[in-house]
Amino acid sequence: MTDPLTAEKGCYTEHGVSGYGVAVKVSHPTPLDETQIKNLAETMMLSIANKCMARGARCIGHIKSHIMSEAGTMKADTIGVSHGAYSSGHLSHPVAELYMAVNSIVQGIREEEVKAATLEGIHEIAEGRGLTVDKEKEHTYFDEFDFTASKQDFIKQLEEQFKDTEQEADPEP
Amino acid sequence: MKITQIAGFLGCGKTTLLLRLSRELAGHGEQKVALVVNEIGEIPVDGKIIEETGLRVKDIGGGCICCEVAATFAKTIYALYREFNPDHVLVEPTGVAVPHQVKLAARMGGRDAKIALGPAIVLFDATRPAELLDMDALGQLVTTQVKDANVVAVSKVDAVDPGTLDGTESKIKELNPDAELLRLSTFSGEGVDRVKELIMTWKE
Repeated sequence: MTDPLTAEKGCYTEHGVSGYGVAVKVSHPTPLDETQIKNLAETMMLSIANKCMARGARCIGHIKSHIMSEAGTMKADTIGVSHGAYSSGHLSHPVAELYMAVNSIVQGIREEEVKAATLEGIHEIAEGRGLTVDKEKEHTYFDEFDFTASKQDFIKQLEEQFKDTEQEADPEP
Repeated sequence: MKITQIAGFLGCGKTTLLLRLSRELAGHGEQKVALVVNEIGEIPVDGKIIEETGLRVKDIGGGCICCEVAATFAKTIYALYREFNPDHVLVEPTGVAVPHQVKLAARMGGRDAKIALGPAIVLFDATRPAELLDMDALGQLVTTQVKDANVVAVSKVDAVDPGTLDGTESKIKELNPDAELLRLSTFSGEGVDRVKELIMTWKE
């Protein structure tokens, strides 16, 4: 059987790393304290990692989050379900609204799969605890760069980028 | 202005080391240190974490500085030189960046600036050697990163047993016998002084 990951160009190339980033606003009817939010974030990171692996990922690069609130900031991340999740930061008082930036980078599945796993993980864990989630901004990423390119080819590629950015910065009248 | 990259695959502890090193290098204002953090996506996480510490950081998003946004990186290096002229620029590329290409991009940015290159320090996560060296998965990328390194710092050494660590170091030595190999734990502080010393004294 053909491996769906290698059957078509566009996802699984040289090292097959795909990613998805999203910024969301998370709200709860009543304020949540630091322990509840740490637990929410850690569980969310592990859920996303788990869902990526269930969709066929070979390895979790990282699932990382940054949480902002009026009471302070926190971060939570994991490099894989078996490694557990880690969080840090403090909140000065319970809060009902949070802004979370979540960045998932995974090897072996398409970016649409990473996106689906990330959003499912966020919604499932947050909504399961009575929170509502509003998406603010998102970004998918697919690495198709050939890191085995020769030095000459790479320098040529850099020179072209320079030319492009200089033209953008200084358009002809 | 010396440019040092702290590279390595995702999740190996680059940001944590960068934060600690930047404080140690800066001392009590004796050295000016600037940070360049590159994140693949347009939703920054690491940049936000670093900004909270009050350090001067330039966050380059939307691609990888070793390839897609290499020109942006090169221009950032030149702008830092012109506007801030730090003693040290610590660069955290994305976890998929290839160190020798980051060096090339930095050199290009330094065409009109007086720069020196510090060592390419590649972190290798001691807690997952099998995953990182699996040639059916990440192996090709991670071995390229290790082979490009001037210094390989085996990170999170406080979290693994000595036997596993010895095995990991043997594999790294096979891949890159010329690199300095050291054990690092940003948590306990092991190896941090040596990394700092290497950055301060490195000549290329």
